[in-house]
Amino acid sequence: MSAIVSVRDLRKRYGDIEAVRGISFDVEAGEIFGLLGPNGAGKTTTVEILEGLRRADGGTATVAGIDVSRDPEAAKARVGVQLQQSAFPEHLTAREVIELFAICYGVRADAMRLLREVDLADRAGQRQEQLSGGQRQRLSVATALVNRPRVLFLDEPTTGLDPQARRNLWELVRRIRTAGTTVFLTTHYMDEAEVLCDRVAIMDNGLIVAMERPRALIAELLAGGFTKPVVQQQANLEDVFLQLTGHALREDQ
Amino acid sequence: MSQTLRLAAMLFRAYLRDRSALFFSLVVPLMLMVIFGNLNLGEFGRVSMAVDDQAKNAASEQFVSTLGRIETLDLRRTGSDEALRQLRRTELDMLVVIPEGFALAPARPGQAVPTITVYGDDARPQQVSVGGSILNEVITRTSFAVAGGAPVVAVRDESVQGVRLRYVDFLVPGILGVNVMQLAVFSVAIALASDKRRGVLRRIMATPLRPARYLAAQVVTRLVLATLQVLILIGVAIVLFNVRIVGGVLPLLGVALLGSLLFLTIGFALAGWAKTEDQIPAIAQLITLPQFFFSGVFFSKNAAPALVRPLTNLLPLTFLNDALREISVQGASLFDVRGQILGLLAWIVVGFVLAVRLFRFERF
Repeated sequence: MSAIVSVRDLRKRYGDIEAVRGISFDVEAGEIFGLLGPNGAGKTTTVEILEGLRRADGGTATVAGIDVSRDPEAAKARVGVQLQQSAFPEHLTAREVIELFAICYGVRADAMRLLREVDLADRAGQRQEQLSGGQRQRLSVATALVNRPRVLFLDEPTTGLDPQARRNLWELVRRIRTAGTTVFLTTHYMDEAEVLCDRVAIMDNGLIVAMERPRALIAELLAGGFTKPVVQQQANLEDVFLQLTGHALREDQ
Repeated sequence: MSQTLRLAAMLFRAYLRDRSALFFSLVVPLMLMVIFGNLNLGEFGRVSMAVDDQAKNAASEQFVSTLGRIETLDLRRTGSDEALRQLRRTELDMLVVIPEGFALAPARPGQAVPTITVYGDDARPQQVSVGGSILNEVITRTSFAVAGGAPVVAVRDESVQGVRLRYVDFLVPGILGVNVMQLAVFSVAIALASDKRRGVLRRIMATPLRPARYLAAQVVTRLVLATLQVLILIGVAIVLFNVRIVGGVLPLLGVALLGSLLFLTIGFALAGWAKTEDQIPAIAQLITLPQFFFSGVFFSKNAAPALVRPLTNLLPLTFLNDALREISVQGASLFDVRGQILGLLAWIVVGFVLAVRLFRFERF
């Protein structure tokens, strides 16, 4: 395995605030890598530097063999992004949104095939602003796949989604990885990281405080003598919720 | 280039589905034109004149009927009290009072001639002065007829303006100009500021697309829209009001697009400056409203107070409206309006510099 994302001593400050304070890590090709941390830890800043949207103050970031700060355009052409708090132009259909991004990336894309990949083929002619939250998130992933990226960056992809839509998106992420794309995601849901990520890095106050496979991190904690009151319980409330409401996606219309 | 055009085609498609944008860029200007075109606000055409004939004799009858035959006068017989009230309400331009004992006879030395009293509406000086001239002319001719003489100098009238200028002919270029301004300033500023706030621009900037191409696509889209808007407005003006574009539609369109480009730069600058789209209407009004009134849209730009006229003559919309009007009404060529075109180009440079300074895809 070789590193497809490589970060060395990355730094970024906004005025007096040092958002990223010299972090280093590698992401291996073909894995699902999670960057975890509370709000304000520096996750989004790190991802946006890797996506070529922000310039780092120091250190290097290499994505798919390209130094992002030297050639952000080339890096942008090789990665797929799904941003936090972003939107699509209004009054376009789902299919036209894909076509718009194909134009932006300067590539030919089979819009219907991409929509099928994210289970939106039946919504192709619908205005994007009328899609549900989960559907729009999947459309967002489809636009990130338009340029057949080497790495897919997902910034808090399941925030605001209901349990069914979250699981549906996890499935999609696994399928994308199986198809050969490396996935780099940020989240502050630990259950999501635990079931989805091959490896995670935990970030706090602009520093990486741990980086390992989720199971290994848990084992390490337990080995250190950590205990918490154990209630022997074979299910939790989310299991009850899913048992009662089913796994089928709920989407208006 | 083809990337820019394909992008523009997509933006254009989205725009055509935006009902509120279409309403403001097409329905509102058409409403303005139809309403104001039918109001015939500024039609100078006739001077409304009331006659209070206190003499009620053959001579006064003859005098009044001579006045009645003059087409420019909208003559009515009204008592002085009522007529003065109407004058104050500006429902009347002039009042002519013919005194008792009015007679048309050669004046004898030492004998007083009948005196006609004329009241005029100060608010409509042009009408009053034309009415006054007509009155003097009628008195002169009557005098000659009575005295049995002939004028020593004859005057031959030559009309200067080939076509009689109706208000709607004056209005249409003004409506074109003001709507080119509104479409460019408001629609581009609000759309881009909203795209910026919602994160649309961020997402697009995460693709390798060059920012300049995205902006170029926006400009192309708006220029196509402006072309459609101008052609539709001219079409309606021709069909509904029989307006003649003396100088031809193409030069008119060319100048309109130059104006559109100018106001687009201002729209971009505004979108760059604003933090959210809510700030835009107020500032856009601040920029456009004075031009709405002082740049000769609905009435002559000379209606502006003399003190500010040197300034209002330099407003972007004044250059645009003057050029459009000279082409449309007087049949001017692009070369004839080179002064205004130069003015527009100067403003384009100013607007471009402002837009480049202020427009950012995001404030990092």
